[in-house]
Amino acid sequence: MPDLRVTTALPPIIEDWFAGKGWSPRQHQLDVLASWQAGASALLIAPTGAGKTLAGFLPTLVDLVDGKFDGLHTLYISPLKALAVDVQRNLNAPILEMGLRISAETRTGDTPASKRARQRTKPPHILLTTPEQLALLISHPQAEILFGSLKRIVLDELHALVTSKRGELLSLALARIAKLAPNLQITALSATVARPDLLRDWIAQPTLRETHLLTTTGGAPPVLEILETEQRLPWAGHSANYAHADLYEVIKQHRTTLLFVNTRSQAELLFQGLWAVNDDMLPIALHHGSLSVEQRRKVESAMVAGELKAVVCTSTLDLGIDWGDVDLVVQVGAPKGSSRMLQRIGRANHRLDEPSKAMLVPSNRFEVLECEAALEAVAENHQDSEDPVNGGYDVLAQHVLGMACAAPFDALNLYDEVRRAWPYRDLPWEQFERVVDFVATGGYALRAYERYARLKRTEDGLWRVANPQVVQQYRLNIGTIIEEPMVRVRLIRSRGFKKGQSKSPIGAGGRVLGEMEEYFFGTLLPGDTFIFGGEIVAFEGLKDNEAFVSRAQSANPKIPSYMGGRFPLSTYLADRVRLILDSPDEWKKLPDQVSDWLRLQRDVSVLPRRDSLLVETFPRGTQNYLVCYPFEGRLAHQTLGMLLTRRLERARARPLGFVASEYALAIWGLGDLSALIRSERLSLDELFSEDMLGDDLEDWLDDSALMKRTFRNCAIISGLIERRHPGKEKTGRQITMSSDLIYDVLYQHEPDHILIQATRRDAARGLLDIERLGDMLRRIREHIEHKPLERVSPLAVPILLDIGKEPIFGEGRESAMADAADELMREALGSDPI
Amino acid sequence: MGQTLYKAEITETPILRFAGHNFEPLPSGGLYWHAQETLLVADLHFEKMASFARRGQMLPPYDTGLTLARLESDIRRTGAKRLVSLGDSFHRVDASSLLTNSDRMRLDALTDLVDCIWLSGNHDPAPHAIGGTCLPELDLGGLTLTHEPKKGANGLMAGHLHPAAHIHIDGRSTRRPCFVHDNRLLILPAYGASTGSINILSPAFLGLFHWPALEVTMLGKDRTYPVSPKRLVRG
Repeated sequence: MPDLRVTTALPPIIEDWFAGKGWSPRQHQLDVLASWQAGASALLIAPTGAGKTLAGFLPTLVDLVDGKFDGLHTLYISPLKALAVDVQRNLNAPILEMGLRISAETRTGDTPASKRARQRTKPPHILLTTPEQLALLISHPQAEILFGSLKRIVLDELHALVTSKRGELLSLALARIAKLAPNLQITALSATVARPDLLRDWIAQPTLRETHLLTTTGGAPPVLEILETEQRLPWAGHSANYAHADLYEVIKQHRTTLLFVNTRSQAELLFQGLWAVNDDMLPIALHHGSLSVEQRRKVESAMVAGELKAVVCTSTLDLGIDWGDVDLVVQVGAPKGSSRMLQRIGRANHRLDEPSKAMLVPSNRFEVLECEAALEAVAENHQDSEDPVNGGYDVLAQHVLGMACAAPFDALNLYDEVRRAWPYRDLPWEQFERVVDFVATGGYALRAYERYARLKRTEDGLWRVANPQVVQQYRLNIGTIIEEPMVRVRLIRSRGFKKGQSKSPIGAGGRVLGEMEEYFFGTLLPGDTFIFGGEIVAFEGLKDNEAFVSRAQSANPKIPSYMGGRFPLSTYLADRVRLILDSPDEWKKLPDQVSDWLRLQRDVSVLPRRDSLLVETFPRGTQNYLVCYPFEGRLAHQTLGMLLTRRLERARARPLGFVASEYALAIWGLGDLSALIRSERLSLDELFSEDMLGDDLEDWLDDSALMKRTFRNCAIISGLIERRHPGKEKTGRQITMSSDLIYDVLYQHEPDHILIQATRRDAARGLLDIERLGDMLRRIREHIEHKPLERVSPLAVPILLDIGKEPIFGEGRESAMADAADELMREALGSDPI
Repeated sequence: MGQTLYKAEITETPILRFAGHNFEPLPSGGLYWHAQETLLVADLHFEKMASFARRGQMLPPYDTGLTLARLESDIRRTGAKRLVSLGDSFHRVDASSLLTNSDRMRLDALTDLVDCIWLSGNHDPAPHAIGGTCLPELDLGGLTLTHEPKKGANGLMAGHLHPAAHIHIDGRSTRRPCFVHDNRLLILPAYGASTGSINILSPAFLGLFHWPALEVTMLGKDRTYPVSPKRLVRG
């Protein structure tokens, strides 16, 4: 980037303000200003604590310093509502201290309707909002006037947005605004990412302006270590129970410790475990997405006030907001990715010149390897963040309807505009046409709905909304965040249980503990216990979309197995883990119990090599097992398991079931797999051949619960089914059921429908992780190492321990009914009473 | 994630005995009465998805065709001479006039092929202009067929409630539409491709059945499964 330092003189009033604070502007803050003054957009990549917010707004302050500007000048977009509020506070301080006549307001879902209406006609200079609110703003007929004066957009935490559908929605809004505001320059703020060039292109696409890439380097490298323990490391599981006492000592030795875990259930367990050893009654708090908002706010303010010794949290504390004086970050459980780890470490010590301190706590032996790999990756500052994603048709459909709400549109013009959104830059015209057709009448080959069309063609060929209800519907269904159907959890007094039978009916009332996914309660019987909000509670019953629980004593509570928060192991870390396994010289770094385990594996079987796939087969009990170690993450392994069992069935190996972990996949069945392979009746190369992603995948998708879940999201985002009706909220279950039916009907009749295409694409990179599976199958082609064994190998122990632990969603449903039918038959015959 | 995929197959065709008669419960949700050569179905809800479209939700217009295909296949398979639809055949009173041409032709072929009796339901209380006979209820072989179940019935077969069973066994759970009866009242599952379902433990079923005599048959993929009522859970 050109050296622009000389041109960046600050107005005296701002210069004085810095001086008054005893500060001087940081170089990257001046660089952002220089880019602005040169008429360019800018992407600033900087770690947390680098004064990014001020960097983002400095050009605005400079431009508005004379108090003469009228209208909306700068739009700030944040992924979190709370972050927008926080930034407004941080921005208003200097504005007030300098006595500038600059107005800055937030606009979120909480902003009163009257204020929102006023903001459309008489906007502040600076508006701080979220992608969803922005989408609503541009769907208004007044958008043209509102954004006409706009000069700057500041995008915060852009790395977190561009990998999601929210980013797709945002990109489309930017494309529209770039058209309305000819002077627009964009400044984006991001944490360090693997491909900054892609992020820069993403920003440049809407305006086609020159875009500078500004990177702050420096900051002391983080100090990172793995928790040393005398305890026995578990083979499997994710609770890290062994580490609680050690961790407690670590917490004592630091000012404030932030303990990150990957899932909410792990957060509950860790919190529970730490309090069990909390003899000094240290203030240790819990923070995750299921807790009630008030509860979370309480923890946050106690944190800011420095009243807490430690907080156990999930990714809810990953982004942005400064929580005060954290001097140690602990990651409990696998770090999953290097970039994620680096960002979490960055939460400690928000001062650039001091090193951040962090500790990794593996919860089982495989995770020791993953932590070791992460240690090396962090030392090299290696980035493995996801790249920005290409755009989906569901989000595009939502946007097209929004644009029709703003004003009648010409399809060709809108098509040109849409391609100025980076995720849609390569969108073919035919697909765009199909999306418009979908928005208008559902886009079905059987053109049954012309008379109900939501969009109609005017005489001059423009598309307009058919009636005002369409606009209302659009506004109520905006956004791309689809929550799992949730129920509120209330604490009531126990009603007593006798053999799972409840006594009295549930009354109303009870304190709200938080929210939890509805499906979880479908797996509970009254009287079952689980941990929620750090307390052991018993399930009392469900009533009117609320779950009632009571305090309980239980030695073995069921832990909520939450859907969210399971990140797959990054490809990069997976490769490093394979490398460690393949390099015995590296093992001296590992704890003895782990290196002994690997040596044992080497002696009785072989070790997985870096570039091949180890497949072990062995008998156990009455069954035969096949265990392979792809290290590609649970989702890809699940898909692989599904497809391999189909093939094994065809090969008459009589498979019975499978279990998938982050590292390995185990399939068991009745057929003697070792013998089948030895006699060449079963070829592993054919079994693992990439063509399983053809017909086998197709057959399975037909009835896959994962496809249906993905379809539900696409159907809601695209506006095919509604999130809510004016006046009557649908319950989650109703939406789920009807979307499954719609999927069945649509898939059978039009498997090529635009929404099935969207679903397929999302599933491929989401729940099914087909892309990664495909890469793996190509990598190991003709590199499969088969090891027939007499018994289970040391490396296979962890995955076999997982059998029966993980609940399943969706598939294998017939077997439950078949077993219940068998049971009834036995009852009828008077044998085997239960 | 782990799961058991295959089980030893149970091959015999399940027989559903109700009020002294034998029926064959079909995985489609139809109930075949051999003695009467009659196929019983409930809650077809033809044109349900199309009726969403007029409110601006463009659901796929294929549910009617799918339901028709199920009917055609069940009639072919059983050789039924008569079809009795226990009400809510159409999702809306005027829906028969909204049928697409091809669906209309298939429906006409069906009514030509077998003797069709359409009982009225709360969604379609008035007779419709398609082939066959429209009746409020029907007595057949000593049993009464109607849309809405009644308390204290004896030998009544009905639909209306869209029953489903949710069972829990060895850590697995599944929820599917079902036939449910206590030897006095039988409720058929909803047959239509676009119909949802209600758990038989929910308040909608309160007081209808004599619990100790309850028999539940769930719809599987290729067969039906009589299941033990003690495995039933809510939700």
